[in-house]
Amino acid sequence: MSTATTAPVTPGDTTSRTDRRPGLLAPLRWEVRKLRAQYRAKAVLIGAVLLPIIVVVVIHGQSRPPKDTLFGRFATVNGYAIALLVLGFAAQWVLPLLTAVVAGDIFASEDQHGTWKTVLTRSTSRGSLFAAKAVTAAGFAVLVLVVLAAATIASSLLVVGHQPLIGLSGQTIPAAEALRLVALSWATMLPPMLGFTCLAILLSVWSRNPAVGIAAPVVIGMVMQLVGALGGVEPIRPFLLTTPFEAWHGLLADPRFTGPLTDGLLTSAVWCAVCLGAAFVLLRRRDITGG
Amino acid sequence: MRRTILVVLAALVAVIALGSAVVATSGDSSTVTRPRLERSLTTTFANLYVDQARIEGRDITASSLHATSMCDKAGAENKDVGPGGDWVCLVSWTDPEVPMPPEGYGKFELNVHSNDCYTAGGPSKLTGFLTMTDAHGREVTNPVFEFDGCFDPNGDDTPTGIVFPSLLSVASTTVTPDADGKAGLQVTCGTGEKGCAGTVVAVAGGQELGSMPIDLAEEATATLPLPTAVPPGATEVTFTVHLTTGAGPTSPVTLPVQAP
Amino acid sequence: MSDLLAVDATGVTKTFGAVRAVDDVSVRVAAGEVYGVLGPNGAGKTTFLRMLFGLIRPDAGTISVLGKTWDDDGVGVLDGVGGFIESPRFYPYLTGRQNLEGLALLDGGVRPGLLEEVLALVEMTDRADQKVGGYSYGMRQRLGVAASLLREPRLLVLDEPANGLDPAGIRDMRALVKRLAASGLTVLLSSHDMDEVEEICDNVTIMKRGTVAFHGTISELRTMAPDPGYLLATTDDTRALALAEEHPALQVVRDPEAALVVTGRREDVSTFVSGLVRAGIDLLAFNPTQTPLEALFFMLTDDSTHQTLDRPVELTKAAR
Repeated sequence: MSTATTAPVTPGDTTSRTDRRPGLLAPLRWEVRKLRAQYRAKAVLIGAVLLPIIVVVVIHGQSRPPKDTLFGRFATVNGYAIALLVLGFAAQWVLPLLTAVVAGDIFASEDQHGTWKTVLTRSTSRGSLFAAKAVTAAGFAVLVLVVLAAATIASSLLVVGHQPLIGLSGQTIPAAEALRLVALSWATMLPPMLGFTCLAILLSVWSRNPAVGIAAPVVIGMVMQLVGALGGVEPIRPFLLTTPFEAWHGLLADPRFTGPLTDGLLTSAVWCAVCLGAAFVLLRRRDITGG
Repeated sequence: MRRTILVVLAALVAVIALGSAVVATSGDSSTVTRPRLERSLTTTFANLYVDQARIEGRDITASSLHATSMCDKAGAENKDVGPGGDWVCLVSWTDPEVPMPPEGYGKFELNVHSNDCYTAGGPSKLTGFLTMTDAHGREVTNPVFEFDGCFDPNGDDTPTGIVFPSLLSVASTTVTPDADGKAGLQVTCGTGEKGCAGTVVAVAGGQELGSMPIDLAEEATATLPLPTAVPPGATEVTFTVHLTTGAGPTSPVTLPVQAP
Repeated sequence: MSDLLAVDATGVTKTFGAVRAVDDVSVRVAAGEVYGVLGPNGAGKTTFLRMLFGLIRPDAGTISVLGKTWDDDGVGVLDGVGGFIESPRFYPYLTGRQNLEGLALLDGGVRPGLLEEVLALVEMTDRADQKVGGYSYGMRQRLGVAASLLREPRLLVLDEPANGLDPAGIRDMRALVKRLAASGLTVLLSSHDMDEVEEICDNVTIMKRGTVAFHGTISELRTMAPDPGYLLATTDDTRALALAEEHPALQVVRDPEAALVVTGRREDVSTFVSGLVRAGIDLLAFNPTQTPLEALFFMLTDDSTHQTLDRPVELTKAAR
């Protein structure tokens, strides 16, 4: 077993190179590198910067404010109001879509490219790979939310201005405090958004189809939104993943209430845990026959 | 493909079953309740009214308004719980420059959503129209013409104890006797505590036509038959309302007689 | 290490729905040998190799690779194992080099310079910075070999490495596999091409519909090979057929393409042919139908037995 002189590979060593385990960060670095190379992820981030600017400019130019939505009535004259109007609009389907573009694709794309067999014949376990993909999808969700929030708030304040805001109890909120509350309201989108990330991951693993992984969470989100708005089925509301998207209302009331926020955190966590658990079991037990 | 459809169907059935079970076991547990709405509306209205006064160049405080509200959903027979566009709230406040009408309150119509937020439209006579003129003569949005508010779904749910009497109003615009001279008077009892009860006395051409008893639930309408025929040749009938429950028109109402 | 089996699979069975893809298959590959798994498409070769890599969980049986098992060692079973299943697949939006760098990350890193070495070995250095999406089939196949070698494996598993390549590509691939085998690597090769296996392998398992049809060395296989068949075209096939009656050791049948197929020992065929010439029947064509091992392969793996073969085949349970 020591005849290897011409070949570049020297097998037979008992301490072969491949006996080494990759660290937990290696698969994560790989996933991030793949994401950075994807046109789609960049397009989403660019969209998250440009879309709010366009929306803010267009709404600001309207002669009649969009009164049907919370804070819509002051949207043309108050920067904080328009930032919250965009927030309410984003929560309806934009945020689930933005996270699903990556989370709904990150597993199914391996099926699409037939690369499961490529990555699963290396030294990284399915568990590590799953964790790396989930963390990457969650990280992207955080990034895109921060970008969207920053672009919205910045363009709102620049285009419309930073007048004192009228809150949801009719109280007048001074500009500095309003900025803090608006930023905080955007931050409260994170738990349900991550819930949708987990849902998209589950659908991505289950369907093995990027189109389903991306579109289905958005559709499910809209159905939940619809069910949540119905009268008569209100006991279901706390269990819906879209309910936490409205928990920020409490921050803009006087006195402030945070019950929906803590409930929403719990709801989002349960959704995420169940979806991730199911997705992991599906992936672990799966026979990779394709590719 | 068949696998996908089966899983989706199974998931749907499971979700619907689970949802129904939750709904069935928890019953009528909406977070939208009368006390929460009353407290929230009172605060929100008072704050916005102060804002409106400030725009007009007046300096008042929310506490000086002594605002109170009574809310009701879809009439007497319905429970005052749950979202809907059929909430009516009666709000009373004190502003020397804007005196309350005789019944003592203004009527607001509310559309309450299941997410514990609502949109309220105020009585234009008391709160003004969509736009108003500010102290500098500019047209600005009137903050109390229509406004949004949200309340805490876990907030105080003990009754506020605020009640207002129902307002009885005459809905008919004419008296139209039939061939026998018989006629009726349509009256409406508005939102409020206990409905409307009392009598209406009708007089035509100096001749008393008799008195009609009224006993209406809130948000109800009735046609009261005149006890005697309208005399031929009478051109108008005057009605005087005496209520033991509820508030009515303080001065007599005169309606023209329309020939059959 | 020399007495450790590189692959020790016993009674491996896998069923998909109603189809038993692999049925009680046992394969033992000694360290350092080049082992062929041969069978027509759909024989279960790929399913077996996928189970080796842990991509598919067997319903029954045990698989140990370089002394490790999935149950005990998890992904550690792949330490020292490299290879690919079916045509290798990569991320089309990354370059060849980026793909290899990523896979190296999943391997826990590679020693400096190895990436360039394997790229050079498969002659992909020039194309390494182009996106895989633009690669030809053969280039992807070569990148697959490079990706496998990046693991510096002791056991190299190649599933139909020459599949889909042009003749030059096939020649290069076989030369590469031989070179790797000569370096002491254990190679497990699957193929549906008898020639390839005969050329490269020491031992072979022939699979048929998920079961083992033959198990043994190439030389054992050769002794079982049937007598060669010849395609014979004459000026008068009818008379030639009549003359064949005088040679009971030969089997002569009419081919659908209006020629004759002669099967039998070389000497008997020779006698028959010279008899034809003496009888004034001219030979227009005389060609071997297939190589003996090819004939055996078809015999072992095809249910619709060839009419040219009348020797009973009882090799299906041949032991090693």
